[in-house]
Amino acid sequence: MAAAPDIEFAGQSESDIRRGADHESFLTHKGMRWLKVSFGLSLVAILGYAFADVSPRPNGGTWYGYILGTIGALLIVWLSLLGVRKRAFTGGRWSLKAWTSAHVYLGLSLIVIATLHTGFQFGWNVHTLAYGLMILVILSGVYGIIAYAILPQELSNNRREMTQGQMIEALAAIDRQLEQAAQPLARGEADLIIAALGQDTFAPGVFARLTGRYRHCLTERSLAELTDRTGDETHERVVALLRKRDGQLEQIRRHLRLKALLEVWLYVHVPLTVALLAALAAHIVSVFYYW
Amino acid sequence: MFLIRSIDQTATGREIVRERAVEGNELTIGRAAENDIHLADLAVEQNHVRIVPASGGRLRLQATGTLGFTVDGRSTTDVTIDPRDGAELGLGSYRLSFAREGDSEVTVTVRRTEERQTAKVDEQAGFSLAAVMPSKRKVAWASLALILLAFLAVPIWSHINRERVAPGINKPDAVLMDASWRTGSLSSVHHGLEDNCEACHTEPFVAVRDETCLTCHKDIGDHSAEPRLASARGPMSWGDKAQWGVAHAFHKPGPGACTDCHTEHEGAGRMEPTREQFCSDCHGSLDQRLTDTALGNAEDFGKLHPQFQAAIFTAPGQEKLSRASLDDRPKQWNGLRFPHDMHLSKANGVAQMSRRLGTARGYGQPLDCASCHTPTADGVRFLPVDMEKDCESCHSLVFDRIGTTFRTLRHGDVEQMRAELVALDARTPRNTGRRRPGEYGSGGVYRANFGGPGTALMTGAMSEKGLCGECHTPAASGATLKVLPVTQQSRFFIHGWFDHEPHKQEKCTTCHKADTSKAASDLLLPGIAQCRDCHQGETATKAEVPSSCAMCHTYHPRDGAAAAPPRIARK
Repeated sequence: MAAAPDIEFAGQSESDIRRGADHESFLTHKGMRWLKVSFGLSLVAILGYAFADVSPRPNGGTWYGYILGTIGALLIVWLSLLGVRKRAFTGGRWSLKAWTSAHVYLGLSLIVIATLHTGFQFGWNVHTLAYGLMILVILSGVYGIIAYAILPQELSNNRREMTQGQMIEALAAIDRQLEQAAQPLARGEADLIIAALGQDTFAPGVFARLTGRYRHCLTERSLAELTDRTGDETHERVVALLRKRDGQLEQIRRHLRLKALLEVWLYVHVPLTVALLAALAAHIVSVFYYW
Repeated sequence: MFLIRSIDQTATGREIVRERAVEGNELTIGRAAENDIHLADLAVEQNHVRIVPASGGRLRLQATGTLGFTVDGRSTTDVTIDPRDGAELGLGSYRLSFAREGDSEVTVTVRRTEERQTAKVDEQAGFSLAAVMPSKRKVAWASLALILLAFLAVPIWSHINRERVAPGINKPDAVLMDASWRTGSLSSVHHGLEDNCEACHTEPFVAVRDETCLTCHKDIGDHSAEPRLASARGPMSWGDKAQWGVAHAFHKPGPGACTDCHTEHEGAGRMEPTREQFCSDCHGSLDQRLTDTALGNAEDFGKLHPQFQAAIFTAPGQEKLSRASLDDRPKQWNGLRFPHDMHLSKANGVAQMSRRLGTARGYGQPLDCASCHTPTADGVRFLPVDMEKDCESCHSLVFDRIGTTFRTLRHGDVEQMRAELVALDARTPRNTGRRRPGEYGSGGVYRANFGGPGTALMTGAMSEKGLCGECHTPAASGATLKVLPVTQQSRFFIHGWFDHEPHKQEKCTTCHKADTSKAASDLLLPGIAQCRDCHQGETATKAEVPSSCAMCHTYHPRDGAAAAPPRIARK
């Protein structure tokens, strides 16, 4: 009998299978193993909440509350360690992908565990502060997952095979031509062009970047001013170049917007995680200090 | 025809401009010397771009090889441009700008730039959100420091360094920022301690101790002596053992500590009544552990609770109340003769009499319970029935009439009454017999000395139809004016509590079968079955009134009338 191939499955060689596995998203890692774990954990927590014999009412101060609180605190600390873990890229059983998958799904289960831990008692105190920060961190994480799933495709479409450097260079090329073309213009019109060329593309803040709305775009203003004065060749050329510049700016701004939407959640997720760890420490210490 | 303008810079920055014309309508660009425009840059191919005319005065730029070029910053290998609009061709470090004025020749300006085509890395950094956002790291550290300082360092520091004062209501708040630690509002009874956490939380990391509670609650009674309490509790289940093991590891006091039952910070309003479980843990099977107990097992009002035992007098002369289970249908003895059924009848002489008395005197209808029984001011119980107010309208003690004024005997004062009647006799003209001769005269057959009307009243007073005996039990034989004392109990249950006020929408006769009671010895108390019509145990959510033990009982015994604080009993 002929020797069987090493490992073959449905016509794929082992290396093909392995490559396929490598391309699997962290969300679907190992058949959503961590989703199942997270779901099971939440289910057990809910059932426990329903059946635990606590008095006088469920909250963080009952025996079941302490158990949920301990699980929740350990989860928060472990989840925040992704920031350390991600700096070491490894594969295998405890690969970074597995870690990230667990981070996402266990983080979601924390909504259930921590909410049950509160016993639905909230107030203006450090305890609810910790809970609120945790919810914000989780929500920003959920946003991050959605953004990572949707936006890269849009980003790629918008680039039209240009790198970021090429976008800047394209703008610079248009600017050089514009400066040349605008030489015959009168003072007032020349000032418009100077202002448009002098405006820093990257100066607008986070709000303009996220919304893609640039109210004070001088290129658009110059275009609006000059667009009706296309009597002679110089004006026609300047307006054509301003249109080109506007188009190039639009691509850059769309790129900026998509990048901002991709990155902004981390500016919530990371600092609030650290704030959450502080609030968590204050929560735990204060509860036992006034025990 | 093309006009090639090359701009070079000298080391000092001065620009050297050279111009030359290229005949023909095609142009080649590359590193090789034979090209029309020769660019000395290794990044440029030997023959890189060929420019041919296109329609409308436009130019077509084509890559000779596979390597492309950029036009206005965009990579391409084949593109058509209009030199009148201008365009910039990028090849390596060279930039060639195309221009044409009207129908003149195309000007190609060749300029070498310092940098390559791609922008510098720091320019590209502008694409990242980091360019316009505060650093994540800085924000993280700042919020970390802020939270730890405000919510941890400040309260702990001020708690350790506070001036120690005896705890009490409305003392000043000595610890800063500890309001942020509050897990919930205090109950209404402790509301005065709301801002004064350190009143109860005296030591760091030490659970609230009984001593602290007892500084204010000095007079609280013990449920029972400690060894007896311990044996009543019996051995713990493994779950309780585990819980207490952990609790004791963290130095939590108990079991039996104040805080075991009285949990705080559960929100404003009443303190949560203690759960049934706290009682039933011991009382559910108390007889197994305390074999000498007189108490029946009680676990849940609806499921396991002994029949009520009323504390009553059962015989004349009894000095201490004796308890009897309502199951045994005990008879009480209160010194009165009183048939409730006759008084509550709608159709007999009593009813008729009440009608006759009229509304002006508070009657007019057949009697009902309220005709005689008046609730106390708080509505919890009833005042004793008062002869003058509640009975005398019918059971008149009028014995004389002078003009339009009636004279009434004073109820409850036998000597006074005797004196009034003797005086009546003295005043009233009597038949002395002297004017009646013969058989009617003194010593004659028909001689009768009726005495006065007062004497007549006294003679028959103690008979069952007599003035006193109608309601009272004679204390001596014959016509001696003496009655046994009457007891009107306001409470029958010593260990439980009942409040009539919340039950007032119910008819009296729903619980008290007075309309069929023929004798005063009938104990008109409802049994537990009656209560269970509405009241079931704490967990019986379908019952009209789920009732925990604390509704009728209190853990801390009280002296006097209130076995349960009205606060608990009320709600």
